[in-house]
Amino acid sequence: MAGKPPSAVDTRAQVDSDLGIEKREFRLLEWMADRGIFVFTTALVLVAALFIDGFASLANITDVFNRAAPIGIVAVGMTFVVISANYLDLSVVAQVATAAVVLIAVSNASSIPAAMALAFLIALAYGLVNGVAVGVFKANAVIVTLSTTFIGLGILRWLTGGSIYFGPPEGPIRSFGTTKIGPFPLSMIVLVLITIALSLVLTRTNFGFLVKSYGSNREATRLAGVNTAWVVVGAFILSALGAMLGGFVLAAFSNTAVSAMSTGFDFRALAAIIVGGTSVFGGKGSVMRTLLGVVFVSVLTNIMVLSGLGFGYQQMAIGALIVAAVSVDSLARKAAVT
Amino acid sequence: MNDHPDSESTAQESSVPIAAPIIEARNIVKRFGGAVAVDDVGIAVPPGEIHGLVGENGAGKSTLMRVLAGILVPDNGSVMVDGVRLEPGSTRAALEAGISLVHQELSLVPEMTVAENILLGSTPTRAGLINTRELKQIAAAALEEIGVSVDLDEPIVRLSVALRQFVEIARAIARNPRVLILDEPTATLTPAETDYLLDMLQRLAERGLAIIYISHRIPEIFRICDRVTVLRDGRLVDTADVAATTPQQVVDNMVGRELKVDLETRREATAPGEVVLSARGVTAKGVNGIDLDVRAGEIVGLGGLVGAGRTEFVRAMIGADIKSAGRVTITVNGREKRLSSYRSAVHNGVAYIPEERRTDGLALTMSVADNIALSNRHELSRFAVLLRGKIAKFARSLADTVGLRPPEIRREAGDFSGGNQQKIVLAKWLGRKPSAIVLDEPTRGVDVGAKVEIHRLIRDLALDGTAVLVVSSDLPELLELSDVIHVVRDGRIVGTLPGDVADEKSVMTLASGGTGLIGA
Ligand SMILES: Nc1ncnc2c1ncn2[C@@H]1O[C@H](COP(=O)(O)OP(=O)(O)OP(=O)(O)O)[C@@H](O)[C@H]1O
Ligand SMILES: [Mg+2]
Repeated sequence: MAGKPPSAVDTRAQVDSDLGIEKREFRLLEWMADRGIFVFTTALVLVAALFIDGFASLANITDVFNRAAPIGIVAVGMTFVVISANYLDLSVVAQVATAAVVLIAVSNASSIPAAMALAFLIALAYGLVNGVAVGVFKANAVIVTLSTTFIGLGILRWLTGGSIYFGPPEGPIRSFGTTKIGPFPLSMIVLVLITIALSLVLTRTNFGFLVKSYGSNREATRLAGVNTAWVVVGAFILSALGAMLGGFVLAAFSNTAVSAMSTGFDFRALAAIIVGGTSVFGGKGSVMRTLLGVVFVSVLTNIMVLSGLGFGYQQMAIGALIVAAVSVDSLARKAAVT
Repeated sequence: MNDHPDSESTAQESSVPIAAPIIEARNIVKRFGGAVAVDDVGIAVPPGEIHGLVGENGAGKSTLMRVLAGILVPDNGSVMVDGVRLEPGSTRAALEAGISLVHQELSLVPEMTVAENILLGSTPTRAGLINTRELKQIAAAALEEIGVSVDLDEPIVRLSVALRQFVEIARAIARNPRVLILDEPTATLTPAETDYLLDMLQRLAERGLAIIYISHRIPEIFRICDRVTVLRDGRLVDTADVAATTPQQVVDNMVGRELKVDLETRREATAPGEVVLSARGVTAKGVNGIDLDVRAGEIVGLGGLVGAGRTEFVRAMIGADIKSAGRVTITVNGREKRLSSYRSAVHNGVAYIPEERRTDGLALTMSVADNIALSNRHELSRFAVLLRGKIAKFARSLADTVGLRPPEIRREAGDFSGGNQQKIVLAKWLGRKPSAIVLDEPTRGVDVGAKVEIHRLIRDLALDGTAVLVVSSDLPELLELSDVIHVVRDGRIVGTLPGDVADEKSVMTLASGGTGLIGA
């Protein structure tokens, strides 16, 4: 009571009205980074169902799912790399194509289990090479995975000569690609199951916890006695396994495989992850929300296709989406820090 | 509100500044979510005054200052400079009005040079290009003003923590402030450096600056401040003339009750046990061959000036940084093991509280519970699956032990006040019953009451048989805790003083180059 400056003028009302906008802006950003994706996805689906001809048909919805599944499976795996604050895994482009070609070509020549086993070993190799370079030698993840993309695609083109492989018209791969349960193709069910599994890994296991913690502060995580290299290698291996399964599903859908089939998977997956609300700064994110991000990106693409907008527009939209999502993420983070 | 009726009248008269205030904040309210961090607080500082601001951890000091500097938008109230209302939440407006804030946590860019950091955000340009010559001139002038000599081209990472603090101050000075706010600037400084800083502030005040000075060290307040404002739980308790109040009264106002602690108590020395942590010939960058033993139940203190190589030594010893030579062993239950890496140290029961809580100690975007779980994950998981229920219980009890405020373990670590973040760093390691613990500046930025609590925790660890190694630039703390003090200079132990013999003078003499009781 002593020393309290005399409050002669009550500036309260004036101040409140001044600050209204600023306060709202701040909250809105946090809210968008936090919960925006639920609302946006729902809104987008509603708008599409009401105003876009052909969207709500069973055939179209199945088609959306068929296209969403491979990218989704890649994205949920890559989410771990993003949460570990290593930006992204560009090499999924090479990995998806390799897995697809191996599945079709090797099963044509020998058997499906042999093809899957080989693809699995290749995925492990990708995960290890990326993970060791980034986790042990502390190389920048973008540059490392850009390089492994080049190496991987180079090898693939050299071995295949760029030719297209066709699966047999009858057989397990073909029937996997065509089976549906209601509007849901099997690939979509695989995506949902993998999302649930990886979500449990992220939220319930020691490993998932360490990925988050490493992404939040790698030095503090190291000083807690954690083998941080192992954490990074683990994240890249999960990303590689996701890319492998994504490649399988993609090959099964078209029953063909070619080295160029996965162009753009890197950025589409990234768009899904960050639109879902996983922070590019690492330390924060969720696999479930990546799934929502996948739905969002896929529905958006589908709307553009149905509206007759060409591939160029789609690319522009994905690019714009990434810029917008990353900006909201940065702004929300800055707002939270100050 | 005021428990001292006799002091009321004097406080009221004297607390109205004679000169018109340069800066005046009125009715400031700031909420975070539901919680009120600052609740209807006013402060006014005339030119030439050094105004102390004190309060327990989380009282709202830093929040109030961030409102003044335009970093935070208040929910109510206004900040005036020369009677003109500042645009709220605009750092630019605050800077232009001459308000400079030295943050509680260092905010320099580590890879950039001293000169670049000083001019960061106000870099002089010519035709859009950075004018390097002018940049260096301004930076040099600012450093000269505070009388600190440091190479302008040196990157910040290569400077000691104390020098970084002075660079931070030079940066505030380079902006020609009329109001200088310092948020716990002495937390990282030794007594000599603190002396220097306090003298410097008095010189600046004589030249007509208005200075707001935050510290948990009450003697500093009484040495340089003209008036002092006490915050408690976000509210203003009292603003008083320093001449008309006493340290005891200020502390009572801070805690809202009488804090009965004998700050000088030394613990009964227990009979030390076997050697637990043993270092021989540890050599690393800044460390020139150090031998050291820490016994079970013993508290060993490392004294010395900032930059003497104490942090470098402890980090090299436990393997957190690379050492070029030396052998370190830990003996638990009679079995001696060589520490080959940091992870082997942690695995063998070594706990380490790093000096820098924000960069090394905490994952700021994770909750308190998660931060605690990180260093206890083996006990808190089964078959690699986290036991969420167990984590919550464990974290809650540790938050309680260290007196975390507010005691919300779901809150992100970054949302806590500086002192409370330090408590979280401690809590991370206390649950493990470590066989040896290394604490680097364990109470930096912690308030008086919490400091007493942390000292008690450290003593309890020793009583339980933990080998304790403490690095502290807070000399009274070092003297109070240690059974034996090794003084480090230039990366060597230059003297060893038994705890009951050591005093401030003997430690400082050794630290600065004199001779000690044993060794030289
Ligand atoms: N960004 C934030 N989000 C949520 N709560 C916050 C944030 N910053 C501060 N707080 C809360 O506001 C209160 C006041 O914090 P403040 O940092 O001002 O304390 P302080 O007096 O500076 O303490 P210390 O002595 O520990 O530095 C605390 O309860 C703190 O947890
Ligand atoms: Mg503070």
